[in-house]
Amino acid sequence: MNNQRLVILLLLIAYIFSPTLFNWIINPEGAWYRPYIVWILVIAIAFAMQLRRKKYNDLD
Amino acid sequence: MTFDLGQVALIGIGYLLLLFGIAWITERGWIPESVTSHPITYILSLGIFASAWAFYGVIDLAFQYGYGALAYYLGTGALFLFAPVALAPLAELARRHQVHSLADLLVFRYHSHSVGALTTLCMLCGILPLLALQIQAIADTMHILTVSGNPSLPLETGLTFKDIMALCYCAILAFFTISFGANRDQHRGLVTAMAFESLLKVCALCAVGLVSVYGVFDGLDGLDQWLLDHPENLALLHTPIHTDSAHTLLLVFVATAVTMPHIFHLGLAENPLMRNSHTVTWAFPLFLLLMALPIFPILWAGTELSVPLPPQYYSLGVPILFDSPGLTLLAFLGGLSAATGAMVIISLALATMVMNHWLLPSLKLRTRTDLYSQLIWLRRIIIAAIFAGGYVFYWVLDNRFSLAHLAMTAFIETLQFLPGTFAIVFWSKGNKRGLIAGLSVGTSIWALGLLLPILTGIEHLHLPLGNINIPVGIEYWNHVTLISLGLNTFFFVVISLLTRQTDDEQYSAEVCAADELSHPVRQALDVHSASEFKHRLAKPLGKVTASREVDIALQELNLTIDERRPYALRRLRDQIEGNLSSLMGIHVASEIMDKYIPHVTAETQSTVDINLIENRLSQYRDHLTGMAAELNTLRLYHRKTLEELPMAVCSLGRDMEVLMWNRAMASLTQIPTEDVTGSYLEDIPEPWCSLLIDFSQSKEPHFYRREIELNNRPHWISLHKANIEGPITAGVYDQVMLLEDVTETQLLEQELVHSERLASVGRLAAGVAHEIGNPITGIACLAQNLKYDSSDPKEVLETAEQILSQTDRVGRIVQSLVSFSHAGHASKTEFEAVSIRDCANEAIHLLSLQKEKNQVLFCNDIPKTAIIAGDAQRMIQVFINLLSNARDASPEQGRVMLESNEDEDSVTVSVTDEGHGIPPELIERILEPFFTTKEPGEGTGLGLAMVYSIIEDHSGHMDIISPADPVHNRGAQFVITLPRHLDAFMDA
Repeated sequence: MNNQRLVILLLLIAYIFSPTLFNWIINPEGAWYRPYIVWILVIAIAFAMQLRRKKYNDLD
Repeated sequence: MTFDLGQVALIGIGYLLLLFGIAWITERGWIPESVTSHPITYILSLGIFASAWAFYGVIDLAFQYGYGALAYYLGTGALFLFAPVALAPLAELARRHQVHSLADLLVFRYHSHSVGALTTLCMLCGILPLLALQIQAIADTMHILTVSGNPSLPLETGLTFKDIMALCYCAILAFFTISFGANRDQHRGLVTAMAFESLLKVCALCAVGLVSVYGVFDGLDGLDQWLLDHPENLALLHTPIHTDSAHTLLLVFVATAVTMPHIFHLGLAENPLMRNSHTVTWAFPLFLLLMALPIFPILWAGTELSVPLPPQYYSLGVPILFDSPGLTLLAFLGGLSAATGAMVIISLALATMVMNHWLLPSLKLRTRTDLYSQLIWLRRIIIAAIFAGGYVFYWVLDNRFSLAHLAMTAFIETLQFLPGTFAIVFWSKGNKRGLIAGLSVGTSIWALGLLLPILTGIEHLHLPLGNINIPVGIEYWNHVTLISLGLNTFFFVVISLLTRQTDDEQYSAEVCAADELSHPVRQALDVHSASEFKHRLAKPLGKVTASREVDIALQELNLTIDERRPYALRRLRDQIEGNLSSLMGIHVASEIMDKYIPHVTAETQSTVDINLIENRLSQYRDHLTGMAAELNTLRLYHRKTLEELPMAVCSLGRDMEVLMWNRAMASLTQIPTEDVTGSYLEDIPEPWCSLLIDFSQSKEPHFYRREIELNNRPHWISLHKANIEGPITAGVYDQVMLLEDVTETQLLEQELVHSERLASVGRLAAGVAHEIGNPITGIACLAQNLKYDSSDPKEVLETAEQILSQTDRVGRIVQSLVSFSHAGHASKTEFEAVSIRDCANEAIHLLSLQKEKNQVLFCNDIPKTAIIAGDAQRMIQVFINLLSNARDASPEQGRVMLESNEDEDSVTVSVTDEGHGIPPELIERILEPFFTTKEPGEGTGLGLAMVYSIIEDHSGHMDIISPADPVHNRGAQFVITLPRHLDAFMDA
C-alpha cells in the first residue's frame, strides 16, 4: 500500500527526464510515426501486465 | 460543395435524437446488459475526454507545437497508465462516499463549505471557455458546411448567421439534456450514449486520417516521399519541441483526467472499471492512440491540398477538398458528436456542483412537498443557465480566439486544482486554509493573465507600484501556467504547514489517505433501530422522502427494517448519507446527518471498528503488495484458524458489541455469524443473551456447567474468558470467550452415578436377602410345626396360616432380591438363541392365570424372526414384569401391544399400554430399586430395576416413552433394544 510514494517519485523522475526521452523518440533521423511505435509498445506492456495479473489472481 | 441548411439542421437533430434515443432505450433495458456493462463501453465512454478540441483544435496545436501536441494525449494517457495508483484511490473514495464531482470530493476531504463554493466558482470560470470552444466549433463547422461555397470562415463580427445556427443547436441540446439528464438515475443510458459518441468520433477521425494517407498521398510511401520533398514540414514537427512550452504542455494536460469536471463525472464517479480492473491501463491509452494517429497526416494533407481554412478545421477541410460528401458528413458528425458529448456531460457536472455548493446550502427546500421534483426542477434550471452562460461567453469572445487558445485557457485553470487533488490521497497534512489560499492565488493569476485579456482584449497589466507594465494574454500562457501553479502550490504547502487542521478535517484526511486502514474509529450512534432513522429524517426531508431514502438504503445493504445491530446501523447511516449526497451534495447531506443522526462521542476512548477494518481489507486485498500483502495473508490464516477452531469462540468489544462469532459458536447457538456480528450482546436471542452477559460481567474467568434449556432439553455449558488489550489504548480491554458444550459428559456422568447406585443397592440386596432368608426359613418351619402340633387346631391353624402367608410373602421378596442381586452373574457364553415371541407368549400365558387382576388384551405382534442371544428364563421374567406393569396400569379390557423391529444387528421390542402413563418427574426414578407407585403390599419396587439389570446383562438398553400417545396424553411405552442372535440371523 505504501509503495505509492515510490511510484509518485518515479512519475516525478519521468517528468524531469521526459525532455531527454522526448528528444530521443523524436530524433529527426527516424520515421515520423516513431513516437506512436513507442506508444504501442507501452500499451502492449500494460496489456501483458494485466494478463499476468489476471493469471496471478486466478491462481489465488 | 455546400450542404443545404435544412439538410444540416436535419442531420444535427437526427444525430441528437439518435444519441438520446440510445440513452433512452438503454434505460429501458432494450440493449442487452452484456453490451452496456461491457468494459469496452466504459472505455469508450471515457472518450468524452476528447471534445471538439481533440477533433479540430489539436490539428492547430500540432501545427504550432509539432510533436508537442501529443502531450495532450500522453499526459492523460500516462495518468490512465498508472490508474491503479493515481486514479483508483480517488475512484474508490468517490464510490464509497457517493461523490460525483471534484468539488464534492474536495469538500469531503477538507471539510469546508467554502472550499466547495470556491471550487465551483473557479471551475465555472475555467470551464466556460471550454463550453464556448464547443459552441464555436459547432458554429464554424455548420457555417463551413452550409454558407460558404468554398470552405472559409466569415470575417464579419457581431451576431452572424452562424451564431444563430449555434444558438438553435444549443437550445435543442439544452432541451434534450434537461429532459434526459436532470434525473440522476439515468447513468447507464448516459454512459452508453457517450460510448456511442466516442465510437463515432474516433471512426470519423480515423477515416479522415486514412483518406489523408491513402487518398491524398497514395499510401505511407507517398507520404514519406512528400515529407522528403517538403522538409519544412518535418522541421515543423521537431523544432517547437526544443522550447520549454512542450514541457509545460505536458504539465497542463496531465491533470485533465482528474480535474476536468466532465471527465471526473464519467471517469471516476460513474465508472466501475476504474476501481477493479486494469483494463483501463492499456485500453484507454489505445483509444487515445487511435485519436492521435491521424493528426499529422491530416495536417500534412491539409497543407498539400492548400485548404483555405485555419489548420484547426483541416479535419473537415480535407474531406471537402477531397470532394467526398459522405466522408465530409462523417467528419462533420464526428466533430458535432465530440462537441455534443462534452457539452452534455460538462453541463450535467457543473449543474451538480452549482446546485450542491451554491444553491442547496443557501436554499431552504420545502420539505412538505415532493423533494425529488423540487431538486429535478432546480437542476433543470441550472443546466439551462449553464448552456446560456456558455453561449453568452462564446458570443462575447466573438470568434477572436482559436480553439487551441480557448482550450489552453480552460486547461490551465483546471490545473489549479492539481495540488489540492493530489493532497486528497497523498498528503494528509494539507488543509482547507492552504487550499483556499493556493487556489485563490493561482486562479487570480490565471484570471489576470489569461481570462481578462481574452474578455477585454488588454495586452498589459499596469502595476501602480513601481510603474511596471506586465505583458499578459494567451501568448504568455507558458509563463502564466508556471507562475500560477507554482505560487498555488507554494501557498498551499506553506499555509497548510503553518496552520492547524480541525479535528473533523483531520478525520476526513485520514479516511482519504492511502493508508486509511490504520485505525477507522468505531463511533457509536444513539439510534437503536432502522425505523428510528425514518422518524428522525422526516424532519429535514419530509416523511415520504425520508421513508423512501431509508428503504432504498436498506435494500442496497440487504437489511431489514427490524435491524438493530449497531454495526449495521452505522453502515445504514453511511449509506443514507452517501445516497443523500448524490441527491443534494455531500455538504448538505453531511449537515443533515450530523444534525439529526449524529455520532455520539463516547465518554471513553472510542473502540476500533474491527468489522470495518476487516471489510475494507477484504476489499483492498488485490491492492496490497509486499509486506502488507504478507501481513494480510497472515491475518487471513489466523482468522481462518479462529473461524474453523472446533471450539465455540466469540469476542466482545468493550461496549458489548459482538466482534467475532466463529463457526462452532454458530452451530452451538444456532445463530448464524452474519446475523450476530456487530450486534450488541443484549440483542441476541435467549438463553445465550443472559448467559453471556452474566459471564462477561462476572469477575470469574470460568463458569462451570451452567445449565440452560435448549429445545426443551437441558444442556450444560462451560464458559472460559480472557481479556485482550485493545489495539488503540492500553488498559482498555476487549473480551474473548470460549464455550464448551459439556451436555454429553454430564449425561454420561449421571448415568454412571445411577448405575453405581443400582449396583450398590444390588449388593445390599444380596446381603439383606441372605440375612433375612435364614430366619424366615426358621419361622416358616416353626409355623409348620405349630400347624400340626396344636390341640386347638382351629385358632392355631388360623394363626399358622397367617404366619405362613406372611412368610411366604417375605420369601417372595427375598427371592426377587436374590434374583436381582444375581442378575449380573450370568455368563454371556451360556447365551443361546431365544425367540422373543415365544418368551412373550409364555409370559402372557402365566399372567392370564391371575384371574383376580385386570383383564386386558395382550396383542403379540412380534414376528418369529425376532431372535436374540440370551437366557430364555430371564427374558420371560422381563416380559412378566413389563406386561404385569402394563396390565396394572391399563383400564379394564385395555390393550397392551407388543411389537418389534429388526435391523442387521439388533432387535427392538416395544411394549405399549393405554394406561395413564408415567408422570415426567417419575420417569427418572422408576428404575430405582424399591421405587413403586403401587399400593403397599402390591409391588416390591424391584420389578423394573430387575428388568433393567437383565437387559443390561444382555448388552441391550431400555428407553421409556411417556406419554406413548401424545394426542390423548396417555399410555407408556417401554422400548428394549437387544443384540440379535447372529447365527439365527445367518440362517434366516
